[in-house]
Amino acid sequence: MKMNLDDPQYYVQGVLAKDRRILSKTITLIESSQPSHIELALDIVDRLLPYSGNAVRLGITGIPGVGKSTFIQSLGLYLIKKEHSVAVLAVDPSSARSGGSIMADKTRMEKLSSLKKAFIRPSPSGGTLGGVTRKTRETMIICEAAGFDVIIIETVGVGQSEISVAYIVDFFLLLMLAGIGDEMQGIKRGIIELADAIAINKADGENVQKSEKAQVVYERLLNLLSPSYAHWIPPVHVCSALEMKNIDKVWETVLQHRAKLNSSGELEEKRKKQALAWMWSLLEEGLKERFNRNTNVQGIIPEIADQVTAGTITPTAAAYKLLRLLDK
Amino acid sequence: MADYPDKKKWEELATKELRGEPVESLDWMTAEGIKVKPLYTAEDLEGLDSINTLPGYSPFVRGPRATMYAGRPWTIRQYAGFSTAKESNAFYRSCLAAGQKGLSVAFDLATHRGYDSDHPRVIGDVGKAGVAVDTVEDMKILFDEIPLDQMSVSMTMNGAVLPILAGYIVTAEEQGVSRDKLTGTIQNDILKEYLTRNTYIYPPEPSMRIVADIIEYCAKYIPKYNSVSISGYHMMEAGANSVQQVAFTLADGLEYVKAALDRRLDIDDFAPRLSFFFGIGMNFFMEIAMLRAARYLWADEISKFGPKNPRSMMLRTHCQTSGWSLTQQDPYNNIIRTTLECLSAVLGGTQSLHTNSFNEALALPTEFSSRIARNTQIIVQEESQICRVVDPLGGSYYVEALTSAVVREAKKIMEEVEELGGMAKAIESGMPKRCIEESATRRQARIDQGEETIVGVNKYLIDEEPSGEILKVSDEIRKEQIARLKKIKKSRDSDAVHKALDTITNCAKSGGNLLEVCIPAVKARATVGEITQSLEKVFGRYTATTQSISGVYVSAFKDREKIDSIRKRTDEFMKREGRRPRILVAKMGQDGHDRGSRVVATAFADFGFDVDISPMFQTPGDVAKMAVENDVHVVGVSTLAAGHKTLVPQLMYALKEEGGADITVIIGGIVPHGDFDFLYSKGVKAVFVPGTSMIDSANLVMDALDK
Repeated sequence: MKMNLDDPQYYVQGVLAKDRRILSKTITLIESSQPSHIELALDIVDRLLPYSGNAVRLGITGIPGVGKSTFIQSLGLYLIKKEHSVAVLAVDPSSARSGGSIMADKTRMEKLSSLKKAFIRPSPSGGTLGGVTRKTRETMIICEAAGFDVIIIETVGVGQSEISVAYIVDFFLLLMLAGIGDEMQGIKRGIIELADAIAINKADGENVQKSEKAQVVYERLLNLLSPSYAHWIPPVHVCSALEMKNIDKVWETVLQHRAKLNSSGELEEKRKKQALAWMWSLLEEGLKERFNRNTNVQGIIPEIADQVTAGTITPTAAAYKLLRLLDK
Repeated sequence: MADYPDKKKWEELATKELRGEPVESLDWMTAEGIKVKPLYTAEDLEGLDSINTLPGYSPFVRGPRATMYAGRPWTIRQYAGFSTAKESNAFYRSCLAAGQKGLSVAFDLATHRGYDSDHPRVIGDVGKAGVAVDTVEDMKILFDEIPLDQMSVSMTMNGAVLPILAGYIVTAEEQGVSRDKLTGTIQNDILKEYLTRNTYIYPPEPSMRIVADIIEYCAKYIPKYNSVSISGYHMMEAGANSVQQVAFTLADGLEYVKAALDRRLDIDDFAPRLSFFFGIGMNFFMEIAMLRAARYLWADEISKFGPKNPRSMMLRTHCQTSGWSLTQQDPYNNIIRTTLECLSAVLGGTQSLHTNSFNEALALPTEFSSRIARNTQIIVQEESQICRVVDPLGGSYYVEALTSAVVREAKKIMEEVEELGGMAKAIESGMPKRCIEESATRRQARIDQGEETIVGVNKYLIDEEPSGEILKVSDEIRKEQIARLKKIKKSRDSDAVHKALDTITNCAKSGGNLLEVCIPAVKARATVGEITQSLEKVFGRYTATTQSISGVYVSAFKDREKIDSIRKRTDEFMKREGRRPRILVAKMGQDGHDRGSRVVATAFADFGFDVDISPMFQTPGDVAKMAVENDVHVVGVSTLAAGHKTLVPQLMYALKEEGGADITVIIGGIVPHGDFDFLYSKGVKAVFVPGTSMIDSANLVMDALDK
């Protein structure tokens, strides 16, 4: 095929043909902040959308040091043994000062990353418009079109990006550790509420008993929270990614969840809701961006902001005044 | 006594000489964070604990032996080994004839990592950075006509320490030398491998068991043999400063002591057989102080275990001049550097010494450069009359004060390690590696901006391409080794081999001394790879996790303009291309030296690149897949072990196969000038040799991308 790097069909066909190079190039387009790339990417994603949707979409999060990469490697190896093909999308934080980043994910997924049936793409969080999750969601669609049937999305740290990731996956897994002082480990309550399961990792060696104790604590905690689905109570597992222990149980849970939500129709419902929520969040973002770019607004914002801080105008009146400028 | 002026008078005069500037303006902060003043006097020695001691007595600050070099000079022990056992053997014998006193064997990386020469992962490594050893047959050739009951042999081996030490014992036995007569040293220092160098095989826990098994076996059967050489050298080469080197090395040592005590050995059974290995850099007096401080601290620490034999508290050490301080530019300058470092080691009171060859920043030493290196020591030893007096710097105000400062600072780090639960736990926490890496990155920044002078690199540059002969190891060596291996496998009793290997696996599972069960396997001609695998079945193979640091390079780099200008370039690239320039820093083959690649990664991220780091020990295919998946603009290959001529063409091919022929490939590390054209012809866009500043490299990478 002759290469035409501006032709969406080149990418569409390449992705459908499972060409690793073209898949990776397409993801680059999705991640790009360059306007011509963004347009091209939107076109490609639209064309590939009909081929997507068949994978298990799994989000994994947890504090740094919980062993996310090792867990993903173990799960990935297990899945590939079961004839699945796995795409891992990992988001790494960019430095606010230099804009650069260091992505060392694959040093922790050495065995998985060398396998043909695995595709691992670390992405820097910074520097592009639309935020991490826009890119991740679209990348997920592309990977599904390329035939990967399990998509794992890894997010680092605990914050806003985890919450939005929970809104683009079918199953949201929270990894925890036993015996690290504060039971919450800096995890926001909101994230626990979103979890479809908790896995207490590093239950190996001296840690086994501690992990089993923690399991009871979390089970109790989850019982206190109001369930997200009518037919699902999030279970708590104890596992060791290092020793490949109970990785299969976690996967079985994902499948059970899927089966239950499928039969109740909740999965389809969830995805529909996600799509709609997705549109709205993009709209909000776009509006905000458009507002900030508006020349009428740009000139006057500092002045009005000063007035608000000085107390000469109420925030309500200020916002009203600014919004009206958009109509001009 | 004459009435001499006091310190106050001196200060007045000094201020005058400085045209009114205070004397403190001459204070200098060393890389260790120790303040050095322009003048030391008797005042600085007041209350110091480490002065007024005598050599031969604890705490051994002035030397482990009463007469030191006046009685017997240090052992000239040059580390060498390359290609096949036969060639290395010929080289050793010529060195011994030319005045060298002890042997020190360098093994190739395949052997270090427990792979036989026919393993697909070691295509670029066989015979390159040391001698290839697959079976005891190779060992026998290596020591042919070298009587092992008379020669003290040091072997740098940590990962595959069991088959290699077993091989040494069997070789001696088949030479007719019983094991109790063996002298010499096995490095057997696995902890530092997890910090630097990375030539481990198994996870830390079983690795520590192996160390203890060897200490135990040696204490019982090879009483004159040094069962561990606790090494700081590699930490220094990875960027540790002298205080860090002492502190982490002694902390490693204490961990081995505890492991041996856990075996119910008495401290006096094994402590006298622990030896040390330090690296000596260019800060002349600091290195002297470091060795003196190390002896003081070790005596202090071991005294806590209540030894009865004073030798248990005695730190005996081998030293090596720093390879990292050698430059590729204007390489004859390295002879002078090595001479100074040699003096530091000797004035610090080392027991044996390796001096580097001047062209080691380019490649392996040649016969000529090896001779110069050896003669550097011989001339100091036999012409300079330095050996006549024990610890000639003892009592020097400066050296004594510096010694005590190193003791004080090192103690702080050792206490921190202790709080983390000892060195094994500290390594797990990532603390030592982070400290060393920060130190390395800061140092690089200081050199890049000329705060620390390196002649020929950042000052007094010459416009001349380095030339001269270098030693190259042919890729045919691998074929030769494989052929030998096949022959041995055919002629041996394979039932006996399998039985012996099963015994090893069982011993790994259920306990017992592993060295003891490896000896029959070696006798039966089991290979290094087979023995390693029989243990791997139980222990697994260890993969390191990588923590990365950021912001360190830029914070130590004061020239904002240069930083801003490279950041502007990456920002502009981002505007134009829609993303930042993305570079994969890759390590291929069994070369585990990752200091260079780690410093590059953190500096480039600080400059605004997106940096991917590959796992260690990758094949060209692994790297190509990663480059393509991550869609990087550039692959930067870091190479320090002479594998580039095999591995780089394979990488170019693999990239093409994966559809990534458009990805720019650059190389950094130890690459002889004569190889440049070959690499360019294979499509490599740039080659960076030691001494290129990080900012210059980043700008050159941007040049290549902007084309």
